[in-house]
Amino acid sequence: MIIFSAILVLLAILGAPLFTVIAASAMLGFSNIETDLMTMALELLSIAQLPFLAAIPLFTFAGYMLSESDAPKRLVRLTNALLGWMPGGLALVCLSACAFFTAFTGASGVTIIALGAILYPALKQDGYSDKFNLGLVTSSGSLGLLFAPSLPLILYGVVAGVQIDDLFLAGILPGFVMLVMLSGWSIWVNRGNRKPLSSFSLREVAGALRETIWELPLPVVVLGGIYSGYFAVSEAAAVTALYVFFVEVIIHREIKFGELPRVMRESMVLVGGILIILGVSLASTNYMIEAEVPQRLFQLVAEMVSSQTSFLILLLLFLLVLGAILDIFSAIVLVVPLILPIAAGFGVNEVHLGIVFLAAMQLGYLTPPVGLNLFIASYRFEKSIMHVYSATFPFLVILALSVVLITFWPDLSLLFLSG
Amino acid sequence: MRISLERLERIGRAAEDGALVALLGAMVVLAVLQIVLRQFFDSGIGWADEFIKIIVLWLAMVGSIAAARDNRHIRIDVLSHILPDKLVALTRILVDLFAAGVCMMIAWQAWRYLQLEIEWQETVLIDTPAWIAHLIVPLAFLLIGYRFIVAGARTLFEMFRGDPINDTP
Repeated sequence: MIIFSAILVLLAILGAPLFTVIAASAMLGFSNIETDLMTMALELLSIAQLPFLAAIPLFTFAGYMLSESDAPKRLVRLTNALLGWMPGGLALVCLSACAFFTAFTGASGVTIIALGAILYPALKQDGYSDKFNLGLVTSSGSLGLLFAPSLPLILYGVVAGVQIDDLFLAGILPGFVMLVMLSGWSIWVNRGNRKPLSSFSLREVAGALRETIWELPLPVVVLGGIYSGYFAVSEAAAVTALYVFFVEVIIHREIKFGELPRVMRESMVLVGGILIILGVSLASTNYMIEAEVPQRLFQLVAEMVSSQTSFLILLLLFLLVLGAILDIFSAIVLVVPLILPIAAGFGVNEVHLGIVFLAAMQLGYLTPPVGLNLFIASYRFEKSIMHVYSATFPFLVILALSVVLITFWPDLSLLFLSG
Repeated sequence: MRISLERLERIGRAAEDGALVALLGAMVVLAVLQIVLRQFFDSGIGWADEFIKIIVLWLAMVGSIAAARDNRHIRIDVLSHILPDKLVALTRILVDLFAAGVCMMIAWQAWRYLQLEIEWQETVLIDTPAWIAHLIVPLAFLLIGYRFIVAGARTLFEMFRGDPINDTP
């Protein structure tokens, strides 16, 4: 058994598709406890049983349509009109526009490609150092993960069985903490870059507002609809998809009808890749529960740590390592079912756990050697990976500090939740 | 031989795209219709929610088939940045064969389960036989497995030819 597990881990490291490795380990486990392997089919079919899952393809499709249109450009113009006059203003533009955009596209690397292409040259032109630009754009690519309706938030809700609307509320303040800390640092670094401040122009703001008049109501469509009780999360996703379709395809006409199948395919390739991992993970999780793995893990952890604080420290260290090797989606479906009962044992609120989990995994996007955003940025901006590592490092430190703050200040996540 | 294989690829890709468009479109329309019916007419379609969930299953499976064709399934991709090309190609062949084997195994198990469903006459959506809704699972894993075999064979071919085959039109 141990030999087989070692072989599977080796295969995963060698680059076997993760879903096949997880499926193989589940089948190995099932055959070990003499369960018919037909169970695999049952587990996969339970993809059709989970509540709220429809929200994932719908929000992803909406996000991909947004990224294919000129919405990123309009968004940058608007934030620039609002924030550009400040010292370090363009850096703030970059951070806020990316956060807004990532919330809708689900931190799958789309942000760096869609917004980075606009912001990177603009930052350079404004006299920011090249290294700062690279670090800023790379780290901004996963910012906004904690804002509704981001894909990882929904996936955590589905896997952990937590109300998704609660998670949406819980992500707001921690998300802003990250945004504010990175903004503060960006302003401080660029305090010497005293170029004449461009003046704040009401006319430019009005022009930018008029341009984004169709996209601006989006957060209201998503959040307003859910919290006013008009529609459930998956319905809000359908309305969002339909709305974005109308705006970008019919009103702005920036995506032609003929291009839609390609956009749909692009987005569903991502969704398929995530949901198939979810499916096989349901199987492996069920095997582990049958083999009482969570209980044994809890005993193991309880021997090492005794208080909630020391548990959270251990959790953060674990997530940091996990985030560096696993992508956020696989990590959620594989690990959350295992740590959820342990965290409950230490009295950690499950909504707060979700925010901590995602915030820590966000660091993983930027952690050498294999952070996803590092590779995307290296590829997109044609810089060596070592150069990207060093450019991103200060941002990684700031983000790590914010994660510590979010972890040990649960009220940040739980303030808006009643009861 | 090659001509017909290329044609098969084109047809396959078009079929995936067509299925994705139909599924995603149906899902949006059905979900929005449900809201409209509930908010304005105080009614709804009884089977719509279950149907949407089955669509999610199909989207997941067809999306996975498409991901396999585009070689976009999620992997831990560390070694390809470190190892020399020849060794990367070797490990690729190894893991693709492994992946193909796992997929075929799941396809087989899902096929067995489907036969049970037929025997037990299980239904979904009031009176539709369940196996029709669930047929996509063995089919998808069969196609994904096939895709990994093709990918492995292609890597092998490239290793001996020494130059990459242009597989995108």
